[in-house]
Amino acid sequence: MQISLRIPLLVVAFCLVGSVSAGADDTVRSLNFENDILPILTRFGCNTSGCHGKAEGQNGFKLSVFGFDPPGDYLALTQEGRGRRVVPTLPDQSLLLSKASGVVPHGGGVRIDRQSEFYQTLRDWIERGLPFGSPDDPQVVSIAVEPRERQLAVQSKQQLTVAATYSDGRVVDVTRLTKFQSNNEGLAAVDDTGLVTAGEVPGEVAVMASYMGQVDVFRALVPRSEPIANYPDLPEFNFLDGPVYRKLRTLNILPSGPASDADFLRRVSLDVIGTLPTAEASRQFLADDRTDKRRLLVDSLLARPEYADFWALKWADVLRVDRQALGHRRAYEYYQFLRTSVATNKPYDRLCREIVAARGPLSEQPGGSFYKVVTNPGTMASTLSQVFLGVRIECAQCHHHPFDRWSQTDYLGMQAHFTQMAFKTVLGGEVLISNPGAAVTHPRTGQEVFAHPLGTENPTGNPAGDRRQLLAYWMTADDNPWFARNFVNRMWAHFMGRGLVEPIDDMRLTNPPSNPELLDALAKSFVESEYDVKQLVRTICASRVYQTSSTPNDTNRKDDQNYSRALLKRPSAEVLFDAVCQVTGVEEKFAGTPAGYRAVQLWDSQVPHYFLKLFGRPSRVTSCECERTIEPSVAQVLHVLNSPEIQDKLSHDGGRVAQLERDVSDDGVVVDELFLTFFSRYPSLEERTASAAYLKKRPDNRRGAVEDLAWSLLNTVEFVFNH
Amino acid sequence: MATANHFCDRVTRRDALRVGSASLFGAGWGLGQLLSRQSIAAETSPPSDVSVIFLFLKGGLSTIDTWDMKPNAPSEFRGPFAPIATNIPGIEVCEHLPMLAGQMDKVSLIRNFGHRNSDHGPADHYMLTGYHPIPGFNPNLSPNNQRPAHGSIISRKLGPRGSVPPYVCLPRMHASAGPAYLGASVAPFVVEADPNSPSFAVPDLLPPLVVDPGRFENRKELLGVVDRFQKSGEIAANRGANAVNTFQRKAFDLMTSSATKAAFDISAESGEMRDRYGRNSLGQACLMARRLVEAGVRCVSIDHTNWDTHDNNFSVLKNDLLPLLDRGMSTLFADLSERDMLKKTLVVVTGEFGRTPRINQNSGRDHWGPSFTVAMGGGGIQGGRVVGKSDPRAEKPDGPAYGPEELSSTMFRLLGVDPNDEFYTPEGRPVKIAASNRVISELL
Repeated sequence: MQISLRIPLLVVAFCLVGSVSAGADDTVRSLNFENDILPILTRFGCNTSGCHGKAEGQNGFKLSVFGFDPPGDYLALTQEGRGRRVVPTLPDQSLLLSKASGVVPHGGGVRIDRQSEFYQTLRDWIERGLPFGSPDDPQVVSIAVEPRERQLAVQSKQQLTVAATYSDGRVVDVTRLTKFQSNNEGLAAVDDTGLVTAGEVPGEVAVMASYMGQVDVFRALVPRSEPIANYPDLPEFNFLDGPVYRKLRTLNILPSGPASDADFLRRVSLDVIGTLPTAEASRQFLADDRTDKRRLLVDSLLARPEYADFWALKWADVLRVDRQALGHRRAYEYYQFLRTSVATNKPYDRLCREIVAARGPLSEQPGGSFYKVVTNPGTMASTLSQVFLGVRIECAQCHHHPFDRWSQTDYLGMQAHFTQMAFKTVLGGEVLISNPGAAVTHPRTGQEVFAHPLGTENPTGNPAGDRRQLLAYWMTADDNPWFARNFVNRMWAHFMGRGLVEPIDDMRLTNPPSNPELLDALAKSFVESEYDVKQLVRTICASRVYQTSSTPNDTNRKDDQNYSRALLKRPSAEVLFDAVCQVTGVEEKFAGTPAGYRAVQLWDSQVPHYFLKLFGRPSRVTSCECERTIEPSVAQVLHVLNSPEIQDKLSHDGGRVAQLERDVSDDGVVVDELFLTFFSRYPSLEERTASAAYLKKRPDNRRGAVEDLAWSLLNTVEFVFNH
Repeated sequence: MATANHFCDRVTRRDALRVGSASLFGAGWGLGQLLSRQSIAAETSPPSDVSVIFLFLKGGLSTIDTWDMKPNAPSEFRGPFAPIATNIPGIEVCEHLPMLAGQMDKVSLIRNFGHRNSDHGPADHYMLTGYHPIPGFNPNLSPNNQRPAHGSIISRKLGPRGSVPPYVCLPRMHASAGPAYLGASVAPFVVEADPNSPSFAVPDLLPPLVVDPGRFENRKELLGVVDRFQKSGEIAANRGANAVNTFQRKAFDLMTSSATKAAFDISAESGEMRDRYGRNSLGQACLMARRLVEAGVRCVSIDHTNWDTHDNNFSVLKNDLLPLLDRGMSTLFADLSERDMLKKTLVVVTGEFGRTPRINQNSGRDHWGPSFTVAMGGGGIQGGRVVGKSDPRAEKPDGPAYGPEELSSTMFRLLGVDPNDEFYTPEGRPVKIAASNRVISELL
């Protein structure tokens, strides 16, 4: 199939490209720099930020990154470099051609083959006197990938073609000048020519195509190769299950069985409140025979103070509670504002508005402290877009976003919402006010850009009033395409270990959700609940999909994209450390905090602590959740295995091990108690027998033996992960 | 090109973990190096097997008083020290570096070196990563890396050699020695202990004293009994868990490997050898670095502090600092050479900047980025050379200069890492391994 597809395509591509460069009469007249020459420079990477596109250029030759400034690039080629870059009288002597084709040594290597049509196009353009083209020449208005959707067998191939539509209605095949990128190379890779190759893992993948600032996407579904005969009807607990099941069915994947009560208890406790259940709580829950005990458990967790501690910490990361920038008192007030918002279940749209549109005294509007940490209007715009919309626009500060539709004008339009803002110091503190503000001008065109939200047109003047307020209402409007979707995606990723969109704060046309139906359903329900976060937690936790076991089956072993089994999640550094303290029964005293403070309550991410640092606590220098790293390292493993700090907690005279050994004489009961404490479950018969035998064999050092058992449990994957 | 992009480095890391699960020893310390397509490129041009010891003299060594003396400059510049001849005719160094004077056939001096930053935090970042900080840099964070430190890049690109970690910091981690967006798996292994201390031991490398080897074996056995996810398939099916599991096995190897134990056991050196390096933190760190490289570590970063001689520059240098440097550094070169390791071990000695050629009112010298000297030797570069020169008062390089970008690019070239390869920032922006692909060709 691959072969039969490719050959005709190449023929078509050649004919069409030929017609652009030197084919039909109507193109001979008008080579256009922007339409015909820049795409070649972009396609071969000449203007990337690592080569001539970087701010200072490369070896004296500077192009605008990704060709966002055609007139500037035209000047660089035709006027600079002492006229040696392009020589119309001797086109082949032009450095543009001799360097790119490797005739003259080129730091970037051989880029364009002398025999290729690209070389020929460049040569024609030089020979014909370097036409820039006229402003009336047609421009690319859209591109379309063909096919747009397809089911691919594992390890099969699919050639993509890309057609560009110009403003005069002309359609041209631009496949060979298009850049392609897969959003999941494990599922399918794409090469420079647009040939997609599916991998061995089943799932859904998107391949982005970009040409001249226009983007389109090809989506492929790669099912597992063996169909499942008599696919069973699966139980649906709520509306989230259907979309997942339908997807799994097309992928020939069966979900894992239901999670046990013990696994559910431990999982939901860590996910909702970042805290392990105690042995006593585990015993009670396991013995409870009410049919709705899981629902009741979630409700009780949502009412606990640990819920607010845990989620306030997450918000404090992305909204940058930074003691160094804010000072101790204001940072604490800012944190308390976030924590109270969580504790009172403030509607999420209101929380957003209280930050984006904060005004007045900071003591009354602590959400405004954000603007004391992020102080530049452009960064405010890009940070808040990333946090609340999941849209990354910072690329567009300097150039057109390479994988999205955002231009510098879009970026500046967002920035212009923040230029009125100022702080005034009055008796009793600082007040956030708005003043007329400086104009925002486009660095290239010099034209003023007025405040306008993403995806809207640049207006002819700034809207009246406080522009941040307008932005806040636009962001939180029920029909905003990103606001609710971004939040439910973040929450889904938190509970399921993987977002429907990954990375979770990079929503764009070219990075579509792996299950759009599910994302839409979640977002719709969240909007209908009036942005009730606790309700969203209840909904997710009530689904059968959330309550799936982590044990893989033969059909879903390779799938980690489609929620066919519970993924193992590494808890954050704070949660993991609190768990260590809880299971060992030895509290930690953190510098500068009262006794009894747990790590998730540390509102200042700079409180020195080796374990927290080692396990990836963020420094809060960005608003990316990715700053909080959950990547494992040997140093982490060694620390839990060997560190005196952990050993001290195990052997502490007032700790769990000492107390159990002293109070409980039956070895089997000691083993039960430890398993309940660490894993929220009873040991299996085999585990119980082996562990009790270990204790029994060491009557002269029973305490040491209990310590050994606790050490072993602490170093299991079952303990270190949420499963 | 078109497909080489990863956002937040996520795809890369996930892929890495999956690859890691398949090959235990390949995965080792940092899984990442296996996956990126850049590393595939690196594999096609085999690495050179050179290791690097980066001796960082934090605070800023005064190179006008040591490597690049100006005896003919006016007295408010030249200082009281006299130059002496070395074993290379034509190269002179400070009279308080007599042992180094006998090793100059192995050391080269880059005298046309300089950069644009004279503040401690940003200049440190510049020298230790090859990248000048960009706005938003906060030197008070630790780590404060906006770009990965050399050692993290080396770990990512070349991976571990044997059971020892590829990148080690001692006797502490410099705030700019972190992995930035390359992630925790290529963070340095930090030996937070002074190798000159009688109680020196690598933290967490061995079980606490109360757990003897027999008991540790028992614990391990018990761990095998209670690790249910091993059997039920979760570990194999989850990359993060798989990595932890792999790292745990790796940690056991490390703890039981005699090579590692030996590498970190500085007491295995003879008293004579330890004396020869100098019984002080700098000397013993140099000795430790040699042991680590011998055992397979690819990059050892020594953070030695107190070179910020704003006051009494000359007495502090003469009485306190230069004797340590003279003994430690000269012994390192001599010892590496005697063991036939010098060809495969690059040694770089530098501060974050030099010091003002004009002497201040406290007989000190202040920060000076625009012109200073970097000393390098081994790893395939020519010893006994002087690269470029500074102007008559050592205030700026005389003629074209080299900077941190070229230092990085030269180091990576010598190690067999292509400085043009790219990594991606969390924003998806490609950043080259070194900001320049120019190398200090006079050294080669």
